[in-house]
Amino acid sequence: MPHLMDPEWKKGSAELLVMSLLDDQPRHGYDISKLIKLRSDGALQFHVTSLYPLLHRLEKQGLIDGRWVEQPEQRRRRYYSLTAEGRRALRSKQQSWKDFVALIGRVTGLEHG
Amino acid sequence: MADWKRLVRDKLAPLRLTPAAENELVDEIAQHLDDLHRELREGGASADEAYRDTVAELDDIYALRRGLDRNQRMPFTEPAPSGAQPTSSLVYDVVRDLRYAGRMMRANPTFVVFVVLTLGLGIGANTTVFTLINRLLLHPLPVTEPADLVAFAGVESAASPSSAALLPLSYPNFQTVKADNDVFASVAGFTGKRVVTLQANGASQGMLCEFVTGDYFSTLGMSAAAGRLLAPQEDRSPGVHALAILNHGAWQRRFGGRADVIGSELRLNGVAVTVIGVTRPGFIGVNGLVGPDIWLPFSMAETLLPTEMRGVYTDRGKAVLQGIARLRPGIHASQAQSNLTSIASVLARDYPAANDGYTVAVRSISDFTFAGGSQMVRFASLVLTAVVGIVLLIACSNVANLLLARAASRSHEMSVRVALGASGGRLMRQMLTESTCLGLLSGDAGLLIGYGATKLLSRSVPMSGTFVAPEIDGTVLVFTLAASVVTGIAFGIVPAASAARASVAGGLGSVRIAGQSRRRITLGRMLLVAQVALSFLLLVTALLFLRSIRQAYDVDPGFQTARLAVFLTNPGQAGYDEAQSRAFYRELRGRVAALPGIAGASWSSNLPLWARATTGVQVEGQPSRSRTDSSAAVVLTVDHGYFPVSGVALARGRDFTDADQSSSMPVAIVNEKFAQDYWPGQDALGHRVQLPGETMMRQIVGVARNANYTLWAEAPQRCVYVPLDQNVLPAMTLYVRSAGDPKTVLVSVGQAITAVAPLVLVSGVRTGSEIVDGGLFQARMGVMLLGVFGVLALGLASIGLYGNLAYAVNQRQREIGVRMALGADRSTVRQLILRQGLSLVSVGVVIGLAAALLTGRALSGLLFGVGGTDPVSLAGAALVLSVVALCACYLPARRATRVDPLMALRQE
Repeated sequence: MPHLMDPEWKKGSAELLVMSLLDDQPRHGYDISKLIKLRSDGALQFHVTSLYPLLHRLEKQGLIDGRWVEQPEQRRRRYYSLTAEGRRALRSKQQSWKDFVALIGRVTGLEHG
Repeated sequence: MADWKRLVRDKLAPLRLTPAAENELVDEIAQHLDDLHRELREGGASADEAYRDTVAELDDIYALRRGLDRNQRMPFTEPAPSGAQPTSSLVYDVVRDLRYAGRMMRANPTFVVFVVLTLGLGIGANTTVFTLINRLLLHPLPVTEPADLVAFAGVESAASPSSAALLPLSYPNFQTVKADNDVFASVAGFTGKRVVTLQANGASQGMLCEFVTGDYFSTLGMSAAAGRLLAPQEDRSPGVHALAILNHGAWQRRFGGRADVIGSELRLNGVAVTVIGVTRPGFIGVNGLVGPDIWLPFSMAETLLPTEMRGVYTDRGKAVLQGIARLRPGIHASQAQSNLTSIASVLARDYPAANDGYTVAVRSISDFTFAGGSQMVRFASLVLTAVVGIVLLIACSNVANLLLARAASRSHEMSVRVALGASGGRLMRQMLTESTCLGLLSGDAGLLIGYGATKLLSRSVPMSGTFVAPEIDGTVLVFTLAASVVTGIAFGIVPAASAARASVAGGLGSVRIAGQSRRRITLGRMLLVAQVALSFLLLVTALLFLRSIRQAYDVDPGFQTARLAVFLTNPGQAGYDEAQSRAFYRELRGRVAALPGIAGASWSSNLPLWARATTGVQVEGQPSRSRTDSSAAVVLTVDHGYFPVSGVALARGRDFTDADQSSSMPVAIVNEKFAQDYWPGQDALGHRVQLPGETMMRQIVGVARNANYTLWAEAPQRCVYVPLDQNVLPAMTLYVRSAGDPKTVLVSVGQAITAVAPLVLVSGVRTGSEIVDGGLFQARMGVMLLGVFGVLALGLASIGLYGNLAYAVNQRQREIGVRMALGADRSTVRQLILRQGLSLVSVGVVIGLAAALLTGRALSGLLFGVGGTDPVSLAGAALVLSVVALCACYLPARRATRVDPLMALRQE
C-alpha cells in the first residue's frame, strides 16, 4: 500500500484516470483531457504540460500505444490505445483503487453512509 | 489563427529536447491547443480570453520537463570526460564549452554588459590607435607594390646620407639622374604643394596643387577612378599640356563628384587647364598627411607660376622636384644609392656652381610621407600605443578581478564538475572558452567604438577629402580579432588557473578552504595595485603634457598675438604685374588702416610661424660661406609699419619708411640673433649683407628683437627683413592690428580687399590666437588624447577598486557583524574598510610613482618648460587619484556600516 503523500501515489492515480478512458476506445490527448474535465465537472484538470509527458511515459512502458492518424481536412492526430499489457495493468490498478477506497470507507465509517 | 506550433516550440526551447522528441511533442500539443482554442471560442469566449486561456496551458513548462524521460532531453551536465579519447572528443568538447559559455552569458546579462563595456572601451581605444598606425605607418601609400618604391633627393655631402635633411633637386639634375641611372625601372618627380587661384563665376578660391612629371602616376602604379591620368609624354614641352588631374576628395567636395567635370576647363591663375581624370579615393599623393586638390604636369609650372618657377626647366640651381622611383627587379636600395652617388659626383664635377657640396640620397619612400616628421610620427605612435595598451591592461585586470570574485561564487559549480570527473585542465579550458567568448564579444563592441572614434577623428579634420582618412580595413579587423582573443585569454587565465585548482571538498562542503580563497584575494589585490599604478602613470603623463602646454602658451613669441588678424593675398596669381601689385599693396594698406576699429595695417611675406630659413645670405667682410655652411637665415619682406603692427620690437636703429624705395639705397633690418652671430659685441648698424639671388649689398639700418618665425617656442633663428618697396613679391600677407576683438574686423577687411581687387584670392585668414592654437596644434592633440585615455584609465581603475571592496564587504559581512555585535561602532567599521582600500591605493601610487619617474625622464625631451619629474604633476596625479579612490572606497565602507549584526550572523 503506498503512502498517501507519496508522489508515486499521485502519479498512479493520474495513470489510472488516463488508462481507464482508453479502455473502451482509442482517444487523442485533447479528447482525454476534455473527458477528465467533463466527467469530474471541472474538478480534475490536466494541463498539456503534464498530460503529454504522462502519455509518453505510459507508451514507453508499453502500457499504451500511440499512433498518428491522418484525417481529411484536419491536422494529423495521435491516437492512444491500451496494449494487452496495459489492459492487464489497468485491471490491477483498478483493483488496488477499489481496495483503497474500501479501506478508507472502513476506517472512516463512510462505507454505508 | 495563432501559430500554435511556433508558440509551443518557443516554450519548449529551454528544455533542450532531442529534435525527434521535440517535433512529436510540438505537433501533438499544438493540435491540442488548436482544439482547445476552437472550443473556447465556440463556447462564447472572446478572442482574447480564448487565447489567454489556451496559452495558460503552457504555463507550467517545468512540469513537462519533470515528466519527460531523460532520453528525450539533451545531456545537460556533461558526462564524466575521463576515459574518453581526447582526439575524437576535442571538437565535441569545444562545441559543448561554447554552448556552456553561451548559457553562462545568458544567465548573467549584467555581468556580460559590464565586461563588454569595460573591455570594449579598451579594445576600442586600441583599434582606433591601430587604425591610425595602420594607415600612417604600415600602409602610408595606397599604391601598387610600395616596397619597390624609393625616394631620392639632394643632401649635403658632408652630412650622413641616411639622416640628412632631404632637399629638392633641380629639374635638369633630376633629368640627369633619370637618364643616367642603371637601377630604376621608372623615375618620377613632384613639387611641394603650391596654392593656385581657381577663378570661377567671378570669384576666386585657392586650390592646393602639385606639379608632377608625366610618369608620376605610372611610377606609383595608380589608375584613374574616372577619366585618365597623365601619360609620360605629357610633360615634355613647357606650357603645351594644359591638363589637370583632380584628387578624388576634392572632386567630391568642390565639384560634387559630377562626371561632367572631366573634360571641362578650369581657370587656374588665369590659365585654362582641362580636367582629364580623377584619382582613386584614398590616394593623396606621396605625402602622408595632406594631399593636393589637383595635380598638374610639371611642364605647366612656369606657365602658372611665372615668378616663382622662372627658369625652372634649365636652371640647375633652382631645386623644386622631389624624386621617386621604382627599383628594377632584383636591385637593392643600397645598389641604387651607390649608382646615384656616382651620378651625383659627376654632376658636382660638371656643374660645380649648383652642385658642389651636394650628393643624391636614396631613401625609403616613407621618408617623404611625413616630410621629415616621420620620427615624430613614429614616436607619437609609440607613445599612443603604450598608452592604449595600458588602458587595455587595466580593463583586463578589472575584468580578471571580477572573474576571480565570481570564481568564488562558482566554486560550488566547479566542485560538482570535479566530482563528476572533470579534470583541472578540462575546467581551465572551459573557463578560457568563456573568457575568450567574452573577449570576442567585447571585440565587436571595440570595433564599433573604434569605427565611431575614427569617423569622429576624420570629421574633426578641417580639410577632409585631401587629408589622410584612416579607415578600418582587413588589417585592422585582424588586429582587433587578435586583440580580442589575446584579451580574452589575458583576463581569463588567472581565474581559469584558479578554477583548475578547484577541489571537490572546497566547494561542496560549506567549509571554506582558507588558503584557496586567500590566494584568490591576494591575486585580486595585486591586480588592483597594478591598476592603480598604471592609471597613476597615465595621469602623471597627461598632467605633464598639460603643464607643458600651459607653459608653452605663456611663451613670448616675439610678436603680439592679441588683437592681430592676418590675410594672405596673391595678386600675382590674379595676373598682376609688379607695378600693379605694388599699387595694390599700397592702396589696400591705406584703405584698411582707415577702417573703423583698426589700429594699424602692414604687409609681410609670410604668415606668422610659416617662414622657413633659406641659405646663401652673405655678410660683407665675412669669409664667403658655401651653401653647405650653416648660414641659414629667415628672409622676410615687410612693408613699413610692420614692426608696430605685428608687435615685433625694434632694439636699435630705425623702421623702414616711405623713403626706402627701389631707387634709393638698399637697406635691411636684422634681428638680434643675426647681429650677435656676425658682429658679437659690436653694433650691427651700418654693416652690409647680400641676400640670395640679389647682386647688391643691403645696409643694415635697424636691429629687431628675436621672434618665432617657424615654430612656436623655437630656438632663436637669424632673420633679415627687407622693405617691400625694394622687393615686391607676387603674394603678401596683410597684418591688421585691431582696436578690439580681431574677429570683428575680419569681415570689413575682407570686404575692403574685394573692393580693391575682386579677383585677388584671399586665404589664410586667421586671428592671432588662432595662430597660437595652430602652432600648438600637435601638442594640444597629444594632451587631449592623453587626457582622454588617462581619465578612462582612472575610471576603470576606480570601478575595479569599488567592485573589489564591495565584494570584500559582502564576504566579510559575518566578520563585520561579529565586530559590531562585540561593540565596534560604525566609524571603526568604516575605517576598517577604508584602510583596506586605501592601503592598496597607496601601494599602487608608490609603484606608479617609481614608474612615472622613469617614464618622465624618457619624455622630458617632449616637454616644454616642465621637467620629467615635475613635482606639481606628480602631486596633482596623486591627489586626483586619492580623491577618486577615496570615493570608490567610501561607498562600500558606508555599506559595511549598515550591516545588521543579527542578520549577518543568522546567515551563517
